[in-house]
Amino acid sequence: MAVRSDSRFLDAPLVPVSCRVCGAGVRVRKSTWDQTSVQWDGEALASCTERRASGPGPGPSGEVFRGCGALAEAIREAAVLGEVRVRSEDG
Amino acid sequence: MTTADDVRSIEADALPTRFARGWHCLGLARDFTDGKPHTVRAFGQKLVVWAAADGTLNVLDAYCRHMGGDLSRGTVEGDDIACPFHAWRWGGDGRCTRVPYARRVPLRARTAAFPTVRQDGLLFVWNDPEGKPPPEDVTVPRIAGATSDEWTDWSWYSVEIKGANCREIIDNVVDMAHFFYVHYSFPTYFKNIFEGHTATQIMKGVAREDVRRPQAEGSSAPTVLGQTSVATYHGPSFMTDDLTYHYSDGDVDSVLVNCHYPITADSFMLQYGIVVQKAGHLGDTAEDVAAKMGEFIKIGFEQDVSIWQHKARIDNPLLCEEDGPVYQLRRWYEQFYVDAAEVRPEMTDRFEFEIDTTKPNAAWRAEIAENLAQRNGGTGSDATAGAGTGAAVSGPV
Repeated sequence: MAVRSDSRFLDAPLVPVSCRVCGAGVRVRKSTWDQTSVQWDGEALASCTERRASGPGPGPSGEVFRGCGALAEAIREAAVLGEVRVRSEDG
Repeated sequence: MTTADDVRSIEADALPTRFARGWHCLGLARDFTDGKPHTVRAFGQKLVVWAAADGTLNVLDAYCRHMGGDLSRGTVEGDDIACPFHAWRWGGDGRCTRVPYARRVPLRARTAAFPTVRQDGLLFVWNDPEGKPPPEDVTVPRIAGATSDEWTDWSWYSVEIKGANCREIIDNVVDMAHFFYVHYSFPTYFKNIFEGHTATQIMKGVAREDVRRPQAEGSSAPTVLGQTSVATYHGPSFMTDDLTYHYSDGDVDSVLVNCHYPITADSFMLQYGIVVQKAGHLGDTAEDVAAKMGEFIKIGFEQDVSIWQHKARIDNPLLCEEDGPVYQLRRWYEQFYVDAAEVRPEMTDRFEFEIDTTKPNAAWRAEIAENLAQRNGGTGSDATAGAGTGAAVSGPV
């Protein structure tokens, strides 16, 4: 059951972004300003301070960590600076 | 080289030859506690499920290791199951405890036993093709509402799906657009998070003006404004959904379970259940609300099933940017189909994917406006005939 590759990610690969707060290095892809893919690894997850500070919410699905605000801000800045290309802006 | 004119082919690998490692829910525990053995076809096998005298639920391979009798057609004797063929008795740990007509039990009289957990009214069984016990950190989440007087009891449903591999239902975790086209709902926010053995779908939606609930016509019943859903697969087959429906007279919190166990490579038992918080504004109607929501969710699954039973298996889906992370979900799902030692970080590393709903929402608003205009114009009523019978509420699949 070999899983194939997502050609969207071959055409426009993930690029590195670092969090300004904890330094976590993730890889990011944006197809539009409001679409974001974030690939973490174990090291990045371990260094994320918001994640460490977060507690589980109520409900059986409450354990999920919804995402890091500081990282989202770093990704937004990287997109504004053009370090992360926004595909829909490419014309 | 491929060119723009090349026809794209659908690629489909063979169905998996093994069944997923993980906890699988077999259904409501109380359905197995009547003192009789129960037959369950799962993981390509026939299993026997029975309750011991102390209430412990046991699961064994159904075929007696003596002469192959079907234990699920036998009888419960104390804590043990007795074979209908020669009365050999087997304990929940898989060991033969007694052969009534023999001086002693032969050596190696041990059959396949499945670890079980009974929790929150549900029975879970651990499947592992390697035959290892469940790791301590791989557990089933608690569902507090299921044991609370403040919540309803389970409304529970089972349906056998033939002619489809269970990966089809997994794919729905990331499939935002089908919620509009198959389930007549309207997602406005959609994000996936995969991490470890969990895969989550966070979805917010609003009700569609062009979808009328038949019983709501001309009645003063509260209308659904929208829903917020946080649905997580804990392993390969058991999803919990913290589901809040926003009604015109207040919110209703519920927990929906969507789970399945494979029967064969191309059939599975789909089960789902719901418990609803008895919110103040529901009064004494919470049980009715739970049953009604269950019926709507049943309609939703029937809509999925008719898609699955006619579609092709596809391992190279052609995706647009407004589709979800199908490939990354399948990369996550593969961890349950390889030996534990073969699970690679890429299968379990955290991955987030948030869809931009701007363009889909604009397209859907236009489609709804067109449906309403056609309906009001008295022509083209066929265009909304399907939507008119759809569920205004749906679950996470």
